[in-house]
Order: sequence, then C-alpha cells, then structure tokens
Amino acid sequence: MDISRRDFMHIAAIFGLGAATNGIANNKTPASLSLKDIYEFKAKGNFTLLHMCDIHAHIKPLYWREPSTLISAPNLVGTPGFLCGEAFAKHYGLEPSSLDAYFDTYMDFDTLAKKFGKMGGIAHMKTYLDHVRKERGAENVLFLDSGDTWQGTGVALKTKGEAIVKAQNYLGVDVMVGHWEFTYGKEQVMNLIDKLDAKFISQNVIGNDPFADEYEELIFDPYTIEKRGGAKIGIIGQSFPFTSTANPKEFTEGWSFGIRPETLQKYVDELRKKHKVDCVVVLSHDGFSVDQEVARMVHGIDFILSGHTHDPSPAPIVIDGTVIVIAGSHGKYVGRLDINAKNGKVIDYEYKLVPIASNMIPADPKGVKLVKELYAPFASELNEVLGKTKNTLYKRDTFFSTFDQLINDAIMDEMKCDLSFTPGYRWGTTVLGGDVITMDNVYEMCGITYPNVYTFELKGEQIANLLEDIADNVFNANPLYQQGGDMSRLGGVTYSIAVANKPGKRISKLMIGGKPIDLKKTYIVSSWGGNLQNAGKNIQKKKIRPVYDVVRDYIKRKKVVDVSNKGNVTLVDYECGCPVKGSRSC
Amino acid sequence: MQRRDFFKKIGTIVAVSAITPAISFANEKQKSPNTMNFTTAMDTITGGKPVKTSKLIKLKVPEIAENGAVVPVTVNVDSPMTEKDYVKAIHILSGKNFNARSVDIYLTPANGKAMFSTRIKLGGTQEVTALVELSNGTFIKASQSVKVTIGGCG
Repeated sequence: MDISRRDFMHIAAIFGLGAATNGIANNKTPASLSLKDIYEFKAKGNFTLLHMCDIHAHIKPLYWREPSTLISAPNLVGTPGFLCGEAFAKHYGLEPSSLDAYFDTYMDFDTLAKKFGKMGGIAHMKTYLDHVRKERGAENVLFLDSGDTWQGTGVALKTKGEAIVKAQNYLGVDVMVGHWEFTYGKEQVMNLIDKLDAKFISQNVIGNDPFADEYEELIFDPYTIEKRGGAKIGIIGQSFPFTSTANPKEFTEGWSFGIRPETLQKYVDELRKKHKVDCVVVLSHDGFSVDQEVARMVHGIDFILSGHTHDPSPAPIVIDGTVIVIAGSHGKYVGRLDINAKNGKVIDYEYKLVPIASNMIPADPKGVKLVKELYAPFASELNEVLGKTKNTLYKRDTFFSTFDQLINDAIMDEMKCDLSFTPGYRWGTTVLGGDVITMDNVYEMCGITYPNVYTFELKGEQIANLLEDIADNVFNANPLYQQGGDMSRLGGVTYSIAVANKPGKRISKLMIGGKPIDLKKTYIVSSWGGNLQNAGKNIQKKKIRPVYDVVRDYIKRKKVVDVSNKGNVTLVDYECGCPVKGSRSC
Repeated sequence: MQRRDFFKKIGTIVAVSAITPAISFANEKQKSPNTMNFTTAMDTITGGKPVKTSKLIKLKVPEIAENGAVVPVTVNVDSPMTEKDYVKAIHILSGKNFNARSVDIYLTPANGKAMFSTRIKLGGTQEVTALVELSNGTFIKASQSVKVTIGGCG
C-alpha cells in the first residue's frame, strides 16, 4: 500500500519535519482508496483525544465546498488559517483530485462531489469514533467538541437545539464550549446543558450584571480534569470571546465574554501546580488565528483544540511549544490526537485529520434511526422541494458566494430596496448545480433565532462608513482585532477593495444600483442577521419577515434559479483568491 | 454626520437596556459645552511637558469593546508609592471622544498602590491612553486601541 500524503504529514509531525511543501509523491488514485486508508493511524501513547468543531447541527451528511477566496491582511495571507485552494494544496502537499483535495479545497468540487459523495453525518461519524474507541479502549479516549454545535439547521432551530443535544449524547461528547449555542438565550442554554451528558466549560464567561448573584463570578466551570490511560488531563474551556458583539446582546445580557488571557494563564498554572496534571488542553472557540496569538500570550498549554474559523488543518501547528489543531466544519472531519503524557509532561503525540467520507465509512444503524426520528416531526416542511438550481450554490468565500447572492436577490425582489446586506457567516450548505433546493437547504443557510429582514433608511455616508468598519473587522492585520466571519454580502452594490490599506481607506468605486454612491442621499436598505436596523430610520414595520420565508417564496416563484459566480467585488491588491504566503499572487 | 456620531447612535440603541443615561448621548453635541480634543487635553494636563511611553504602566482595556457605553479600563502603575517616589495622578483619555478627558484620579503615597479601575464611554473605535504624572513632575503614558463596532458576524 502506498503511503498517502496525509499519512506522511502525521509521520512528518513526529519527526518534527513540520509542513513540508514538496517531496514525496502520492500516486494513489481515488479508486484505490479504501476504508483502511481513512482509518490508518500509528497509535501512540496512553490516551486519545477525538475532536470536532463547528458541525453547525449537521446531523445528516452534506456537501460542503471550501472557499475559493480567503483573503486577509498581507501578514496573514498564506499562513494556516488563511489558506485555500491551490495555496492550501501546495502548503499541505495534497494531490489534485484526491479525497483530501475534495474535502479540503474547492478545486474541481462538482466533479469530485459526484465521485466521493457527501461528507459527515453523525451516523458515519459514530462508526469512526467507535472504531477508535475499540482500538484504544473506550476508557482511554475523550471526545471534545469546540462548539457551534447546536445551531445551523432547521431541525436544530425548531427544537431550540434539543435535537442536537440528543445527537451529541449519542456520539458520546465528553466536554464542550460554545458560541452560537448562546443565541438560544441564557435560559435555554442552561436547560440544554441539563440534558447534555457532556460537561460545558468556559473560563471566559463572567457575570457582569452588578445586581445579579453571579456578578464577576464564573458562569460555567472554567476547567475539568479527566483521567484517561493513567494520565490526568486538564481541559480548560474557552467559548467565543466576541459572542456579545457578533450576536445580539439580549441573548447573553449580564454575561461578559472576552479572550481573558490573564485568567487563562492562572488556570493553566493552577492545573499544573495544584492538580499536577500530565497534560493541559484548551478546548477553544477563539478561532485558528486568535489561538495562535493565545499560544504566544499564555505559557504552559500543551494543546489547543481550536474552532470557529472552520479551517481544515491536516497538520498541527506549533507555536512556542503549544500544539494547535482545528478540525474543519459541518461534521466533515474528526481530529484524532494520540498523546503520550506522564509525570506532568507530554512526551510525544501523533495527529490526523480524518475525513468523514460518507460513501466509505459505513453508517451506524442506530444513528440513521436517530436522525430519522429527530427529523420526523418536521419532515414534510423540511423535505419540500422549492425549486432547482442551475449552478452550484455555496456559502464560503471572503466577499461573495452564490447562495448569499440568491438570498440577496430574494430580499431585493420582495422588499424593493436599493441594497441589501446578508451576513458573512461561515456556516451554511452547498447545493450542486442541477440539484433541487429543499426547505432544509434554506434553513441550513439562514436558520437563526433572530431571522427577521428589516427594511429601513440609511444615508449614503453611513453606508460607506459601515462598509469600512465591517472591512476592518475582517481584515485587521492583528487577529485580536478581527471578530467577523467573512465580509458581509451586499445585494445591489459593487465596490473595489484594497485589503492592505489603512482602516477606513480600503473601499473605493462604491456603486449602488449601477450609480456611484451619493453620500448625501437616503437609501432604502434591507438587512438581516445583524443590528444594522438600529442605525437606520423609518423601519418599514409591515415588511418585517423571517429571511427563510422570504428566500423560500422567491425560489418557489422562480422555480429554477440561475446565480452566476461572477461576484460583485473587485479585489485591487491581490491577483487571485487564494494567494500564497508573502505574495499578492498564487 | 460624523462617522463617530453614527456609531454613538448605534451604541446608544444597543445600550438602552443596560445604561439609561446613554439615551441622550446622541444629542450631546448640541448640549455639551465641554468640548476638548485629545491634544488639548494632553497639553492642559502636562502643561506642554514631554510625555514618554512607559512599560511601568499596565493598561488593561479590551481590544474589542462588548459595549461602547461601558468599557472596562484598569490602570496599574509599577511604583513604590513612597514619599520620595509615587504616582501623583492617573488620567484616562479617549482619543476621539467629544470630550477626550474621561477620568482624572489624584493619589498620595497613602494610597499604597497606584491602581485604578473604572468603566468609560467610548463614542467609536479609538485609542485609550493612560497618562500618569509622577511625583518628580514628569509624565509617562501607555495607549491601546479599542474597537467599538456595530458588530461582525459569526
């Protein structure tokens, strides 16, 4: 059997070879891949951490196309966290048209989707988890979840997250942290934690209501200590630091978030000195680039199991002795991390990002049954076929995506506005060209607890300033000042952007409805998923309606949607969507 | 309309349930006679003396404010606080607020520790500066940028 490139990567990691970008050829053709290649792993040490992040409630297999544009500030572009397409393949040494290339990049997606099929799904994931539990002994395995688990599909929204808690209990999650979880509101979060078998931990969620009992107190346990394979493992929780600015404040009124590196350091020291743990793990929803900064600020962390930014990272990165891994999104992967730790020290480890290829990993019948049960009450609504799409509808990319364009088209058509804003969330779905669009797909793109589309007035100058502000949230050269997902998607607008320019000076040639923006003019704006409406005047109350209903009705009216992949944004200072490190081109 | 007035307004609406005085904040421009920009504020406090950036000051503010109306600020100055060598005053300045002079705190050696923690209101993304007057009459400072934003997305 040939050694696959990914196998090489994790062998390379042991020898400290790091992310070699050239060398070993991989001659394996997709047809000769087998389950053995996916399971292949050189077991190591006394325990195993299994890791998932950002499954966004996708309990069924799905298609998920990775970004074809992932631009950031010049100092970050081409580094892990800001790699895509060709640059990603080059960095990690992926063979074109391989299973890894299909899972990790957008390249040749439609063709490979037909070859390899759907990704993820709890029934397939469970088969893999159980394989590892059997191989290692269940008592030597921990399954950790970096959050963004309870939100993202119709079945999650309609059960206020409860269906997904049942899925987590079935999978056997041991510990989790949160972000979109909080958008069900504080009370429901506590309800669901009661039903959850896993522990919910966070060192960075603190009461800030001076009249509450929990003022300046921790809301959740900051850490937990688990024993596996004779080792004491300290796991510290880090929920999304910017929950209260990224999502409506009312859901977490009285709770304060933040990165809180000082207290993180305190808990690391406490675990090491007081509890004499053998290994310190941070289970995090900070994001891949922020966690690289955390590793620089806080000392003594052995492993950070990251989440939030949806990066598939086939190889771990090591910063100041801290090993950081992240396991993609939407249930596409499980990260397997074997660790050898004793006497208060990690001796070595081995890592593999395992693709949950649903055509190759058999489904666990119990999982299939559970998914069916969870969907049953909503099946007639969710399975409704609304129409068909001519071209592939996808979500990611820094400035534009076809599914977001479809949402903007739907909003503009119904609301008769001059321009529309759709948020640049990283989660969603992919519908292949020629396939039908179901109501389930629409919820996968916009199933949130604050779904209303608002239509209101903004002055041209406000719109221009707002775009600059959003751009700085996405493109700030310091990851600690980035809090956005991708750039907000605009309908009815075209613009040029120079990402490397100073804050406030990035956007030019801003056109609304084909005409240069008039800073003094009042425009009719529609938006959802943010708090933009608070800045506007004269909200048209009669038009307020959930975005998923607006999109459903539009697709039904159109029957066949035809969204081109052309995009409405001109990137001035990069030549392509996936630049390599230190370059403005590919 | 100024960029920061715009954000003020957004901040105001978002903060309504938390801080009631903020409701009138958007109209402050017309009412308030206390206009003072950052340079004037610095000059007024220092009398034009030179100010050096110093690592003795530990300024703790969030990179991204959760709520522009109540941004927690902690200033900690490494000082023996003896009769001979102590921190006389800590001033907190907000670079772009309508009135940049947010807080003035005067200390004596009897305070024992040169530390002060409070919450300030920020009208938009700007630099927060801790300006410290030492007992020998010299000034030192530390600054950090704080982002006050309408919010990104998940």
